[in-house]
Amino acid sequence: MASTLPDTISSLFGLGGLVGDVVGSLVGAVLVGSLMLTMTALAGPWAKRKITAAFTDRIAVNRVGPFGLLIIVADAVRLLSKELIVPEDVDRPAWDLAPFVLASSALLGFAVIPMGNGIQLADPEVGLAYVFAVASIASVGLVMAGYASNNKFSLLGGLRAVAQNLAYEIPLVITAASVVIFAGTLQMSGIVEAQTAALGFGLKSWYAFVNPFAFLLFLVANLAEVGRNPFDTPEAPTEIVAGYQTEYSSVYFVLMYLGEFLHIFLGGAIIATVFLGGPTSPFVGVEILPGFLWFVVKIWAVFLFTQWMRSAIPRVRIDQLIEIGWKGMLVLSFANLVLTAVIVGVIA
Amino acid sequence: MSLEDPSRPELDIGETAEGVDYDALEALLGDHVVGRERHRNAEAFVVRPDEVQDALFLLRDEAGFDHCSCVTAQEYEDRYESIYHLRKYDDPTQEVGVVVPTATDDPVSESAEPVYRTADWHEREAYDLVGVDYDDHPQMERILLPETWQGHPLSLDYDQEQPQVVTFSEHANPLNEDQRAEADSDTMFVNIGPHHPATHGVLHLKTTLDGEQVADVESDIGYLHRCEEQICQNGTYRHQIMPYPDRWDYISAGILNEWAYARAAEDMADIDVPEYAQVIRTMSAELCRIASHMLALGTFALDVYGDFTAIFMYATRDREVVQNILEDLTGQRLMFNYLRLGGVAWDLPEPREEFFESIHDFLEDLPEKLEEYHDLVTSNEIFQMRCVDTGVLEPEIAKSYGATGPVARGSGIDYDLRRDDPYGYYDELDWDVITEEGCDNYARVLVRLQEVEESAKIIEQCVDLLAEWPEEDRTIQSNVPRTLKPDPDTEIYRSVEGAKGELGIYMRSDGTEKPARFKIRSPCFSNLQTLPEMSQGEYIPDLIASLGSLDIVLGEVDR
Repeated sequence: MASTLPDTISSLFGLGGLVGDVVGSLVGAVLVGSLMLTMTALAGPWAKRKITAAFTDRIAVNRVGPFGLLIIVADAVRLLSKELIVPEDVDRPAWDLAPFVLASSALLGFAVIPMGNGIQLADPEVGLAYVFAVASIASVGLVMAGYASNNKFSLLGGLRAVAQNLAYEIPLVITAASVVIFAGTLQMSGIVEAQTAALGFGLKSWYAFVNPFAFLLFLVANLAEVGRNPFDTPEAPTEIVAGYQTEYSSVYFVLMYLGEFLHIFLGGAIIATVFLGGPTSPFVGVEILPGFLWFVVKIWAVFLFTQWMRSAIPRVRIDQLIEIGWKGMLVLSFANLVLTAVIVGVIA
Repeated sequence: MSLEDPSRPELDIGETAEGVDYDALEALLGDHVVGRERHRNAEAFVVRPDEVQDALFLLRDEAGFDHCSCVTAQEYEDRYESIYHLRKYDDPTQEVGVVVPTATDDPVSESAEPVYRTADWHEREAYDLVGVDYDDHPQMERILLPETWQGHPLSLDYDQEQPQVVTFSEHANPLNEDQRAEADSDTMFVNIGPHHPATHGVLHLKTTLDGEQVADVESDIGYLHRCEEQICQNGTYRHQIMPYPDRWDYISAGILNEWAYARAAEDMADIDVPEYAQVIRTMSAELCRIASHMLALGTFALDVYGDFTAIFMYATRDREVVQNILEDLTGQRLMFNYLRLGGVAWDLPEPREEFFESIHDFLEDLPEKLEEYHDLVTSNEIFQMRCVDTGVLEPEIAKSYGATGPVARGSGIDYDLRRDDPYGYYDELDWDVITEEGCDNYARVLVRLQEVEESAKIIEQCVDLLAEWPEEDRTIQSNVPRTLKPDPDTEIYRSVEGAKGELGIYMRSDGTEKPARFKIRSPCFSNLQTLPEMSQGEYIPDLIASLGSLDIVLGEVDR
């Protein structure tokens, strides 16, 4: 396996030792961070407009620049120049910190994702556990936002968000654990490596092909994790206004929004890595695109899926959501885990 | 034919094969009757203000008048008067009025709320606008105007010039006290609206939550009150009133609303409408109904699906076609102002073939589109999970609240004025009244979707009739005097089947060219009253869905 991005950078600069580690990590982090932010903050909102418009039979932005691309600039100016309204009696600094917690928790997750062409900041042996751990920090941000806003709709949204994350995080992790049984490692590069073997019909042994059931479970649990239909109850715009983000405006709102997008993309990155072979093509011996592009395509495919669900599927009620989580998903994911363990144990 | 009234085995007291036997009713009421009046639509009994409940109980339980359609209050020089317009859900042509006069210096009469729960809001409105006080009423407060309003705008001595001070301090947070009182309880008070994404306008729901469940909900209306009744009382019958009905239910149901006024005024002044114009009216009204139901479906999908649902845009897209047809016909997309007393404003647009073609195209595409809605919406399992058995409205409760339209028909009440109290050209055409037995949010959606199909049937038949209509026989308006002055003291209550239900109008003339009293019976107003019944004990999302399934338009609730 190729060395990680910080090593490559430090050797490029001819640095070694502690200085090399520090410089390499910083430069690498900036690179990866900018990359993800470009995708989520710049391309994301524009693409979301276009995708939703296509689903809902509209045209969306097409006047500002070619394909309406310059709307990104207009949006940025608009959002950043708005007044930051701080409601009375909000619980500061929790209220101010929440947007940062939300946005940064997702960014942290990208540190261990192998994006192809040697772009990976770190490759710890517990990579998968790390991703889930940092992604769940977002729950703390949601509670902070919901509680500190001093708004009843925010409070309801925050409570819903936590209830939902609890109910779906567990099936998510359990399902991922079934993959770990296959791969025999928590290391992200190891999981990708394990999926390069041939499965037959010219396909690689992606876990989405090997265990489609787990893939489906993960996809559904991920929808709940990122709060998109049918599981967008924490925001539920027609029920509780905007849930935990009701009282946020201007820059804070941008951060909230960015955090949400980053989480969708992180979810996409995890699915790409764990089930879709990471930065590789699905066919044995045929690498049409560079690894990094494969990776980006997969992330966007998951993004497209979330937007599709959002346009077409009704939202479930909060009690139904909890019921599906605890009584359905959890049981199914454990069944999947046990089954996988038995099969792997028998074959191996 | 499908329009036959389902036969009922036994007749109520006072019911004959020809209609209502008012003498028998008078005998039933006995000493309660102190006089009789003859309104254009029905006869009315004058009842003492302290015997209202007794009289109404008799009429409801013994004579079968189970539908309190409307309560009108008005002030004469020497007295106040409340009129209860009663009819039967089984046969709305059987009507009776109960007139309750009260003294000018002390206008107190007994409330009808214990008999008909719908009287709750109607009497509050009467108190608010006219100033009649009702005894034994659960909550005698203003309903449309702010609590601090001085005087009653429709009373005779009301001073229009009087400044009304609605101070900011008093309305900074009218619910402060409520919140403090509940500090030590487990429930949470939350204001849903007046600006909330799901209230479909400016409705304010004072909601008490127990966790996620609704412990209590109370609607606060009046934010969109535009004095429509008073505006109409200041307009002449002939031309100045007709533009306003478009603005009650402004969700493209304009022609249906105009018809309510047209029907009442025409019956009042004995104006005939040429058959050709009736067919055009029927066709355009049903187009409006389709447009209205499409929007109802789209916004209901917004409430259940979320902001970015495709269904809303699909419904808007399909409604757009109807709007274009109506624009060709009336020259307007929303405020049509197309009907005239005695007919319609002008004939179909030339070339007629092209116009018919556009309608045919629309009708041809419609089944496929409806199929798409059934695929996307009604057969979606999550949608069914959300809507089946939520927002349940039992038929008996619906009746006591005076619910009509798709809300009543979704609860299995077979009540449609187009069939039961025929007007226009409906009784000549072949179509069905849709009812669903589900009583829930899902049933109401199904009713609307199927009604679109029925409306399409009606339109198709109308178009065929119009295309064949002999050229020399195309009279669009009858001869109506330029100034219309109905006989003094003519009173009439007439209603039509609007998009949301029974849209009625009460008018009283005083011999001038303007009505002395113009009262609007809005279907949304009565339907909205059922919301607490539907949502108590359910979850917030169900409350929102129930509200969406009622399909209220605040312009019509507040008038």
